[in-house]
Amino acid sequence: MEDLWSNLFWFLAGTVILLIVSLLHVAYLTYAERKIIARMQQRLGPNRVGPRGLLQPIADMLKLLTKEDIIPAQVDRPVFYIAPFISLVCAGTGIALVPLWENFVISNINVGLLFILALSSLSAYGVILSGWASNSRYAFLGGLRASAQVISYEIAMSLALLSVVLMAGSLNLGDIVRAQINSPFKVYLIPQLIGFFVFIVSAVAECNRTPFDLPEAETELVAGYFVEYSGMRFALFYLAEYFGMLVMSALAVTCFLGGWAGPFEVPYVPFFWFVVKVYALLFFYIWIRATLPRYRYDQLMDLGWKVLIPLGLINLFLTALIKLIF
Amino acid sequence: MGLGIELNSLIFGYLAFAMVVSSVLAVLSKNPVHTILLVLVMVVHQAFLLLTLGSEFLMAVQLIVYAGAVLVLFLFVVYLINLRKETKHSFFVKRFCLCSLVFLLFLGFMGVNLYLIYGAKKFEQAVLPFNPLEKDNLWWIAHYLFNYYLLPFEIIGVILLVAVLGAVFLVRKVKTTEEA
Repeated sequence: MEDLWSNLFWFLAGTVILLIVSLLHVAYLTYAERKIIARMQQRLGPNRVGPRGLLQPIADMLKLLTKEDIIPAQVDRPVFYIAPFISLVCAGTGIALVPLWENFVISNINVGLLFILALSSLSAYGVILSGWASNSRYAFLGGLRASAQVISYEIAMSLALLSVVLMAGSLNLGDIVRAQINSPFKVYLIPQLIGFFVFIVSAVAECNRTPFDLPEAETELVAGYFVEYSGMRFALFYLAEYFGMLVMSALAVTCFLGGWAGPFEVPYVPFFWFVVKVYALLFFYIWIRATLPRYRYDQLMDLGWKVLIPLGLINLFLTALIKLIF
Repeated sequence: MGLGIELNSLIFGYLAFAMVVSSVLAVLSKNPVHTILLVLVMVVHQAFLLLTLGSEFLMAVQLIVYAGAVLVLFLFVVYLINLRKETKHSFFVKRFCLCSLVFLLFLGFMGVNLYLIYGAKKFEQAVLPFNPLEKDNLWWIAHYLFNYYLLPFEIIGVILLVAVLGAVFLVRKVKTTEEA
């Protein structure tokens, strides 16, 4: 009985700590994004709140929390209320399944990878429902676009991850990392180069980030599916987007870049290599946002269905063939 | 141990209750989008019921296939319906007697079934040809699927492929004589 309670206590403590740490990461990710993009566009970026603007995310959060929560008259209320929460929960829960270091994972289930895929397919609901419930043309079009995009790119992403599963022989994320450490290249990035490419492109599309941010294309749709939201509910969509980036980067690190393993052990900081890799991928996300222009909608669909899915299939086939021969 | 069993039945009770309530509300709701959302609630609870029964794989598949794919497609269809007209229909008024008759018939059928199962105590532990606790759920499914039921599995794959080809055939562009 005491075992149960102490287990429960440690589980809850770990969950709360992980939640706080990832929320802080999400908050400072927005700051990093603004600073890095400013550097790339030869501006200064936020520099007024606190030293070097370091308190900017906190100020933003306070501002959004105290703003009025406007509910337009013609919306479908229950759905309108619940949509941002669906978005955030589906985007954020995935982090609980990722092993941060050797023996630290909040929820170590055997089908971890499948569960993350399930969550990412559920996150389409937040987008579709907010688009529909807002009862606005812009939001509706944004929602339609986003759902079509998320559904198409999910297939390519699953195909890329399936090759990893085939190589590791497990759906447990910890086992996938262990299989990578025991493999000849130490990471799956080298044998799964095509898979990694497919995964990263579809991960950017899944998070609705530039160059695939058509659901929120400002020039056409004002702000896309969350155009009618304000205050805290708007902030929840924002949080969901950045949380999605964080989870996708963590998943990429776990499945392709060798998770917590690094070239040498860093004493007392078991998560050092994991965090370094995640930061590098997050920088990559921000970098391509500053560099690449937005795709046109038909180009986006062409890329998804005619390039990434066939590539993913070929990669899967080759992986299976190589595994069969050796 | 006692607490464990109580907790299990408590969780099962909650899941079953939520599933029944959301299903009934889904049938009663006039707005198709609300119906789909309620079915989603039902499906998610069903997935967690599978999880409590120890089949993690089925839970993930349930979420991916039903919640992630099937219901999203339904939602797409509902998007294209004129909802303002739909919601003004009043249901359950025409042929009310006939509907209640069918309902009573099904209720009676269910009651008879329950009586046969519980009343006659014909309730036995299923005998499995293997010990399910030996390996995880996923391993057993893969083992049986690919060793004993490979042919049916492949046939299902071919049938689905036919369905996909049929869909592509239906939406293809037909060239009229002027264009050609």
